[in-house]
Amino acid sequence: MTSDHIRKMFTLLFVAGFFLFLFGPLITMGLTAFNSSEFPRVTPWECFTVEWFDVLRQDQRLMQGIKTSFFIGIGVVFVAVPLGLAGALLLTQVPDRTRPWYYTILISPILVPGVVLGISTLIFWDRMGQMFFGDSVFYNGYFLTILGQSTFISAYTMLIFIARLQRFDPALEEAALDLGATHVQTFRKVLLPFLKPAIGSAAVLAFLASFENYNTTVFTVVSEATLTTVLVSKVRYGINPSISALAVVIILITLIGACYYELVKRRELRAIDNAKRVAGGGASVVQRRFFAEPAAWLILLVFVVGLGTAFVAGTTGVDECKVEVKEQKRVQTEARIKALNERRAKEEASAENDSVSPAEPRTRAKGTENFNSIFQKDNLEGQMDSSKSDESSDKPARKGTENFNSMFDQGNLQGEESEAETRPEPEPKSRKGTENFNNIFDPGNLNQPDAK
Amino acid sequence: MNWLRTFFRRNGTPLAIFLLCSVLFWMFMMIILPQLFMVDFSLRANVPPPQWGTDTHSYTLEHYKYIVYGSSTSTDQFNTLDMGVFLRTLVAAIFVTLIDLILCYPIAYYLAHVARGGWGRLMVLSLIVPFWINEILRAFSFKVLFGTTGIINNFLVGIGFLDQPYDFIRNDIALWAGLTYAYILLMIFPIYNSVESLDRNQIDAARDLGSPWWRIHWRVVIPHAKPGISSGCTMVFMLTAGALAAPSILGGPSSLWFTQIIYQGFNQASNWARGSAYAIILLLTCIVFVLVVMKVFKVRLGEIAR
Repeated sequence: MTSDHIRKMFTLLFVAGFFLFLFGPLITMGLTAFNSSEFPRVTPWECFTVEWFDVLRQDQRLMQGIKTSFFIGIGVVFVAVPLGLAGALLLTQVPDRTRPWYYTILISPILVPGVVLGISTLIFWDRMGQMFFGDSVFYNGYFLTILGQSTFISAYTMLIFIARLQRFDPALEEAALDLGATHVQTFRKVLLPFLKPAIGSAAVLAFLASFENYNTTVFTVVSEATLTTVLVSKVRYGINPSISALAVVIILITLIGACYYELVKRRELRAIDNAKRVAGGGASVVQRRFFAEPAAWLILLVFVVGLGTAFVAGTTGVDECKVEVKEQKRVQTEARIKALNERRAKEEASAENDSVSPAEPRTRAKGTENFNSIFQKDNLEGQMDSSKSDESSDKPARKGTENFNSMFDQGNLQGEESEAETRPEPEPKSRKGTENFNNIFDPGNLNQPDAK
Repeated sequence: MNWLRTFFRRNGTPLAIFLLCSVLFWMFMMIILPQLFMVDFSLRANVPPPQWGTDTHSYTLEHYKYIVYGSSTSTDQFNTLDMGVFLRTLVAAIFVTLIDLILCYPIAYYLAHVARGGWGRLMVLSLIVPFWINEILRAFSFKVLFGTTGIINNFLVGIGFLDQPYDFIRNDIALWAGLTYAYILLMIFPIYNSVESLDRNQIDAARDLGSPWWRIHWRVVIPHAKPGISSGCTMVFMLTAGALAAPSILGGPSSLWFTQIIYQGFNQASNWARGSAYAIILLLTCIVFVLVVMKVFKVRLGEIAR
């Protein structure tokens, strides 16, 4: 019994871990889209903002890339769907002996690396142009990319059509022909309506596969730039959270699509149930129209309210918060510069001490010891040692280093973040931030080098 | 000829012409001839496009020699850089495939046979969401996660596990994690589909007959899931070895992926011939891998590409 429990626990943990692995990165990336920090990160959290969506909207290169990707995607749909359909229809009619070859050749692009497909398309059409026209007439990003991508996307669509055709009853076709329909009529009135759902899903799949392809596109796109090539160059050379904002948009679209798909599926199931009930002599339940579905409204409501809240929260008080963060940063850097200057002054002073009174080795040693240890981890303990030897002159020095230490302390920064996350009121944050740095001007602190 | 006549009679002339033309175009102009041209191209000297097909565009093996011996001006006997990258890519791809398999098999089994009803369907549906996020954005999310100021480093430093941020990107950990993540769903869906079609009674029968859980998996579930496993492994291996976006985003400054060398041949070095020679080496590697998988798992190609 207990071992069974342990195994169940272990399984649940594994599943939870797997889903965390699956969604953790996406959630983190989504959160960075709302942080005002220039670099995409969650910690330290600065201000909740939606400005990165605006930056995304105004990014000309990215928008141009999306447009190019869109047109290429449409082109791929118009090439890959007919090719896949033809491939699937012909599959049942080729002689039995050649069928395995036929199938292997048409399927092979799926298993060929996308890089290879891109290169071969580029070289082939370029050489064709050289051969027949003596010029690179086919050296066009749209043309090459649509063909290169269609090479393997047609194989995807063909698989969809094959799956659908397996459920087609050839007797229907024969009946139509017997009743005097022409071949074209049979194809248009019998086969195509049957294949309609498959055509729809093949088109969607082809468009999406084209839209997110990179490996083939990067070779065939030549001088154009699609969404993916723009994204890669952006991500490689300097990144900002507007890319996370794009990811949020895509995730939202996917979520809406998934919800829609689930609703449609449920309606289909209910329709089948209904048909069964009617066939069994029961009363028919009238199916509501899609937009009368309560679940659809609920999902829509959740999305609208969520987006609205995000928008309101991300636009109000952002500027104030940013000013706050900026001020905090300014104070921080100022303090750092002060500390640096001070250290330099002290070093100079100790150097002067050196030249003036080289006969006092004890003081000099002490002086350098103090300043060197400012950035050392265990300087407090080190200080304790020296304090044993000379109590009176050491006290201010200890105080000084303490202040600088706490400035670079991890816990110090983290305390601020957690506060910022839970309570966005600016007052306690700034007070805490300046508290440490005020002490820099502590008279004891400044007097220290003169004490000698 | 006889077949052609029946074909035309059966489909009617317009449809028959459409079918033949499109399939022939696809088969020859898009699949077979481009590949043959690429092979031909890789066997020729590297000359600018206007001279293609002229006498200077002569046949040579120099590009294939290059990967083994390197350039003639270098002092090294072998081209250790390119071969090293090639081997590292292969080893990494195999490891990523194995990690994905180990992660996905239990999940696929769980989703297919343990989690049932609405909850199970919700989980399967939720798998689709990361699948439709662009590969580049997924790599980007790992860059955010593993960066020096990323959430993982902040956490590890925060709990005192590390003194200072660890450079995950320079040490290729981010790349491996990102690749494991990028293609994990191409492993899970085929395995899920094949495991799901297993009759539950077989598992119950094995259990009633006193078989321990690991033997049920070894003797009942895994043999049934073989097509799915081989399909998943092939897809993940191919895509990992042929990945270009994730390595260029997540790879450290000093580490290269084999596809990046190919890409350099086309863009920076502008030596298309060498680039295509390397692409053919990649293609051959992948073909060998598919053949090995088909042999080991005793499956046909049609079962893999589904």
